[in-house]
Amino acid sequence: MLRIDVAERPNWKTLAHELGFHFHTIEGEPYWKESAYYQFTLDQIERDIEAPTEELHEMCMELVDRVCHSNALMQRLALPEFMWDSIHDSWVSGQPHLYGRMDFAYSGQGHAKLLELNYDTPTSLYEAGFFQWVWLEQAIQQGIIPRHADQYNSIQERLINAMAHIDDRLDGAALYFSCIKNNQEERATVHYLQDVAVQAGLKAPFIYMEDIGCRADSDYFVDLDNQPIKALFKLYPWEELADDGFGDKIPILGTHWFEPPWKAILSNKGILPLLWEHFKDHPNLLPAYFEERNPAPLTPGWVRKPFFSREGSNIELLTPDGQHEAVDGPYTDSPWIHQAYQPMPRFGQHHALIGSWVVGDRACGIGVREDVGRITKDSSCFVPHAIV
Amino acid sequence: MANHDQTPHLPRRKRSARLSLAMMGASAFGLTACGQPEQTTDVSFDSPRSYQSVDECVAADVYTRSACEEAYEASIKEVPRFSTLEACEAEHGEGACVAPNEEQAQAATGSSSGSWFMPAMMGYMVGNMMSRSSGGATSRGLYQEPVYRNRQNQGNWNTATNQASQRINQRQQSMRTSAMQNRQAATQRRGFGSRSSARGGWGS
Repeated sequence: MLRIDVAERPNWKTLAHELGFHFHTIEGEPYWKESAYYQFTLDQIERDIEAPTEELHEMCMELVDRVCHSNALMQRLALPEFMWDSIHDSWVSGQPHLYGRMDFAYSGQGHAKLLELNYDTPTSLYEAGFFQWVWLEQAIQQGIIPRHADQYNSIQERLINAMAHIDDRLDGAALYFSCIKNNQEERATVHYLQDVAVQAGLKAPFIYMEDIGCRADSDYFVDLDNQPIKALFKLYPWEELADDGFGDKIPILGTHWFEPPWKAILSNKGILPLLWEHFKDHPNLLPAYFEERNPAPLTPGWVRKPFFSREGSNIELLTPDGQHEAVDGPYTDSPWIHQAYQPMPRFGQHHALIGSWVVGDRACGIGVREDVGRITKDSSCFVPHAIV
Repeated sequence: MANHDQTPHLPRRKRSARLSLAMMGASAFGLTACGQPEQTTDVSFDSPRSYQSVDECVAADVYTRSACEEAYEASIKEVPRFSTLEACEAEHGEGACVAPNEEQAQAATGSSSGSWFMPAMMGYMVGNMMSRSSGGATSRGLYQEPVYRNRQNQGNWNTATNQASQRINQRQQSMRTSAMQNRQAATQRRGFGSRSSARGGWGS
């Protein structure tokens, strides 16, 4: 694994705008960066990323099954009791999920270590699945990278297959798509998923989360025309849905959710200590524990993370030699876990994080994010990769 | 996991051959590994072509018979093999698997006795896939790899969850009835996401 400086495609910003990638620059800071790419060997991809991703995914599915059959584990993950039936029923009836992303610390040598799962509201999907692929094809064409270069990326193709699978099983073949207002990046990610759904043959209308309605005479949530929403994709986390004003209506109404309620188990960092308990010493796992009620101060070599957190918020770490780093944030109202500190590989000034995508039950691609700090945040840049 | 063989000698391509956007962006967009570049881009790549059989490939008069045969043989070798029909169907779906015919067994293993099963091939590809092979002919079997694994829990979730919600409906009917009296048929909104301005976004 190498970080290689290369020329940018001269026209890429124009192309980005033509292709709907308006958040390539966020608040004046570059987000998409193609002045370098990360280079992998095929072995590194297949042996160290793809195979462990599929294995870890199967371990997660095994744990979901355990949690679904145990009230004690539901409780341990702080899942609200009124959601337990929905979680259980969505799992035992086999409601499919769409996708997830595992974040790995991996330097090109040794085992990739799982830092966390983003299995409910993963983003950076468009960049990884589409724009990165366009970069590779054009970079080859323009002589920027070798002609025999390849990329680990069948993300979009798999998404279309997964959507087609869902399409076959949905009433009326309509899947609504939703996210909150006033977030350009999330709207774009949802727009991309709508695009994929349309390519798979689905009807894919959009509604903002805030506009979803609830009527006493409807067995489903309703859209702005008061028509039933039979199936809904939400880029909005389960713990918030459950906590919101309509949360208690979710188990009552017939609307199918994507991701399904059982994803609440995996969107929760409590899954990390559970994985460690059940698959102790697995080479791709880091030691992780639930925080005790009156925790001692963080000791060197450990990271403290809240159960529910996004974009690196509220993460605090102490390196083995005592350096302290922390990101503030709003997620202070949930339990915490402790996870062993794993140094992020450094390429020059950059710490690189590998996001490994799972669509359906298949590992199918990666996206690399880099940051000058040790904690990957929403400001971290997306850098393309190639297999050479 | 089933015991399918991977053929080590073929260059495996880890990326999709073609992607497109249907509605996002300024105009419909398609980048393909194909001869015709579409709209917004000047990128073009060689097109792999797909055929049902060697005869069809030859009849198309694009490749020589030996290129057609070579590609067919290579794609057969790439097809996952299973020792039982059940194992194959568990991966690829009911009715999606067949025993190889003599010619296929010969091409795949060099032995005409095929005591194994494979997903039924819908065709195979011949073409210059980028610059991956010097001779020009590489190949890829076209068969549907399922996105989802078969699990114990697989059922008709659409029906099943409706039944589940009906059960819950019954249990909570009294609660709903009283709520109904209060609200008549008005639609409530802003029941989701109203606290989100505090946090800005949810992607991770």
